[in-house]
Amino acid sequence: LTKQLIIPFGGADWSAVAPLTIVALSALLVILADLTLPKKLRRPAGIGIGIVALAAAGIVALGGWGHPYAAFGGAFVQGGFAIVFEEIVVVAAIFSLLLGYSLGRDDQAGGAIALMLWSASGAMLMAGASNLLTIFLGLELLSLALYCLCALAPGAASRESALKYLILSSTASAFLLYGMALIFGSTGSVALAAIANGAVISNSLFDVGCGMFLIGLCFKLSLVPFHVWTPDVYEGAPLPVTAFMSVVTKAGTLAVLARFAYALVSLPQGQAILVPLWIVAAISMIVGNVAALAQTDIKRLLAYSGIAQLGYIVAALAGTSQQGLRYAIFYLGAYTFMNLGAFAVVALLSRERDEGSNLQSFTGLGYRQPVLAGAMTFFLLSLAGLPPTAGFTGKILILATDVNVGYAWLAVVLIVGTAISAYVYFKIVRAMYARTTGARIPRTLVPASSLPWVGVAVCALATLVLGLYPLAPSDVVPLLK
Amino acid sequence: MIWALVIVPIVAGLLLYALPRSAEASAKWTGVAVSFGAFLAAAFGYGAPDESFRWLQRPFTANFHVGLNGPGYWIVLLLALSTGCALMVARLPRGRDFVAQMLVLLGAMTGVFVARDLMLFALFWDLMLVPVFIVLIAWSPAQSNATAWKYLIYNLTGGLALLLATAAFGIVQGTTDAIGAPPGSLATMSDVWSFWIFAGFAFAFLIKTPVFPFHTWAPDTYADLPAPMAAVVSGVQSKAGLYGFLVIGTSLLNGPMRAAAELMIVLGLLSLLYGALAALASDDAKRVVAYSSLSHLGLIVLAIFSFNPIAVGGAVVFIVAHGLFSAGLFMTIGEIELREDTRALSRLGGLGARSPRLAGGLAIVTLAALGLPGLCGFAGEILILTGLYQTGLVWPTLIALIPIVLAAAYMLRLFQGMMQGPEIDDLPQREDMSPLEILALAPLVAAIVLLGVDPEPVTASAAQPLGRVAVAGCPSPAKACLTSETLGPKSIEGVKFATLARVAGQRLEASTP
Repeated sequence: LTKQLIIPFGGADWSAVAPLTIVALSALLVILADLTLPKKLRRPAGIGIGIVALAAAGIVALGGWGHPYAAFGGAFVQGGFAIVFEEIVVVAAIFSLLLGYSLGRDDQAGGAIALMLWSASGAMLMAGASNLLTIFLGLELLSLALYCLCALAPGAASRESALKYLILSSTASAFLLYGMALIFGSTGSVALAAIANGAVISNSLFDVGCGMFLIGLCFKLSLVPFHVWTPDVYEGAPLPVTAFMSVVTKAGTLAVLARFAYALVSLPQGQAILVPLWIVAAISMIVGNVAALAQTDIKRLLAYSGIAQLGYIVAALAGTSQQGLRYAIFYLGAYTFMNLGAFAVVALLSRERDEGSNLQSFTGLGYRQPVLAGAMTFFLLSLAGLPPTAGFTGKILILATDVNVGYAWLAVVLIVGTAISAYVYFKIVRAMYARTTGARIPRTLVPASSLPWVGVAVCALATLVLGLYPLAPSDVVPLLK
Repeated sequence: MIWALVIVPIVAGLLLYALPRSAEASAKWTGVAVSFGAFLAAAFGYGAPDESFRWLQRPFTANFHVGLNGPGYWIVLLLALSTGCALMVARLPRGRDFVAQMLVLLGAMTGVFVARDLMLFALFWDLMLVPVFIVLIAWSPAQSNATAWKYLIYNLTGGLALLLATAAFGIVQGTTDAIGAPPGSLATMSDVWSFWIFAGFAFAFLIKTPVFPFHTWAPDTYADLPAPMAAVVSGVQSKAGLYGFLVIGTSLLNGPMRAAAELMIVLGLLSLLYGALAALASDDAKRVVAYSSLSHLGLIVLAIFSFNPIAVGGAVVFIVAHGLFSAGLFMTIGEIELREDTRALSRLGGLGARSPRLAGGLAIVTLAALGLPGLCGFAGEILILTGLYQTGLVWPTLIALIPIVLAAAYMLRLFQGMMQGPEIDDLPQREDMSPLEILALAPLVAAIVLLGVDPEPVTASAAQPLGRVAVAGCPSPAKACLTSETLGPKSIEGVKFATLARVAGQRLEASTP
């Protein structure tokens, strides 16, 4: 009997999921440490264990490079594609943990860190998920932990954030599930490979299923018009959780979206099904940036700007070229560093009862703390797609792809969106450098921890280096044929 | 070596923030040293071998490719010189931060003129907006930041069009490493592609120059920038657009350039006339100079789009000349404003009686600006007009003469309004130019005279785009339109320019196989 139970999965299967297993198990270790260690050490120990485990997972994941294979009977595809997304999740989670001193009260920290690690492991599962069930499993693991994390900050805004996220995210999951059911109904298989291998009858049931599935994903990616939840949730959630959500959720969902989209194109009607997705991306680029114009809270501003940034990334997938996939991943990596760098700067400005996310806390920063202001300017330049940053190089790569695959109109929309976004980001630059006569200059206080400085430094360096040496991963095959 | 010209100023600028806030003097002299160091290094680096590092391999090839030759060489020299001179007399609150931004601007703008790769060009093109924006919001006298936003939105929109055009160029050609590439080494583009790519580039160049009707950001920006940076931005940054037409347009996008010539000549003429009239009517001294820039740069647009070798040579001379006298004008006006707390022509008057040295300095730069023979402005204008006339653009030449006459009027009005007339009693009476201020203006004045007397080295540097224009466009052999026989009877100073043209022709012959 025991032999029968073990047979289906061998060592190779387990080694494919080793990175996310490490992360998930380390969360247990964090809880254990939280129970046993003296009060003062709990938070640093949790952060330390989390970062070490994530780094270890990152290294282990890299070990699988170059030998793609399908694990668990095709439920999880190990290979370059999964590894790249796993690395992005790992990096994003590490940088979010660096902000861990703003995460809940001291007695909540252990649990919060554990939840964050579980959430990250869910996203890592999504990175390799290649059948509908694993996708759903990863997505729910990711989301469930986040519902709790959103509620961690004191105050009604945080609870509102959590509840809003729970309800709207569940609605999205419902769409996703219903779509999955229809896809399964029309293909008789839950494996994406079954779609990619083209043995599908083309019927309207399948098309509707794909549509609902994509709507569910667009909810999670907060693309317009499925974005309305994002600003409120981002604003209410604690800063590290917002930072985490802004990258990890997107990375996991984007992996699924890319895998699904690239599976679809082997069907005759595949490109047609995807056209609404590119339109949604175009709308997101414009609406996200326009809505960001009026924001005075950095978290809300970054929420809207994130909507637009995701629009850019999805625009890179237009035409579903192999090249486009690589540049989408490159831009996602760039976005990870520039966005988390900006969040780290905000964390360094946070004071008691004030997260430093109000635009006012940036007033005169260029004179009070020139280095921090310089770093923030650099991240904002990157977000705005200005040189010499990864955002600049990434944007030109996306433009080139769109022109190349015949979606020049998307490139034009991207340019228009970027022009609007300049005002959004330079509004913060203005606050930092403008003359401050008459304005109330906030006092500089010592931040809760200087750990975010590490994040600022590494992110700035990575943003610069990726801009000058664009390391777009080769060998990213979404599905094994 | 060439890369050091770009990187050293930027890094030095950023490192200045490590100095204590009170170390304004040491920051200033560091800035001056870096600028003049860059000037010397560039001056002796003419024709240094190009430096190139790989940037992108896919979807198209892009390199960190820089070179120091052609018209870019002279503009880089102009840039380093005017930055150094302007920094010497910079007296602003928070001086350390200002010098830092000036150095970043120096590095970024040097990058524009040494870039030999379109994507690198686009990188520096966008980068040079940032320090100007920061200076506009941090040091402009106005409380509202409308000017800064106007500057940023206008120029960034242009920069993004440039970026898209660059990406499209890369996709079509497979490489963006094309500035200064030998003609024929690139694939011919279809009309549709080359039209749209040119449209993107031209949009950016027209905004940056600026050319009517894209000029509305410029007078505000020049008026609100502190004088040292206004000197550099008006003197050099505005040349990036003209340089782009000259070096990128004529060689890489010759077909659409020629197709657009008529439109551009009309726009150039409109800028010429509009700028001159607005300069006549402005009361703010800085705005007079800003509008006169619009007028002068319109003339250069005419010259470039005439595709005449003499006019193009003149365009390069006038690009450098305008940079010199416009930097000089902004610096002297800045010094006057510092003394009198105003730069309104209606308020000022009679300063010359007590400040003869200041009056002398202003006189030289205004005379250069109005095109006095012997100074650099004349050398550029006469070459351009000769070339225009030779091309057969008789009416544009005649129309262009009107604003050149008007230039004398508004420049003299500027000088008279400040220096002559009865002394005004309630103006603060302060000391004349200090030795340092004289020292700062001296290199510019020397260059103005030198270039006015002997513009030949600069015209010769234009042989690079010059040759390409002739090869790609002229159906007749290039040298035929450059002999003194065809030029002689029409030219105004026949002998002098026949010689010039002959030299240019010889270089051309040498450069075309």
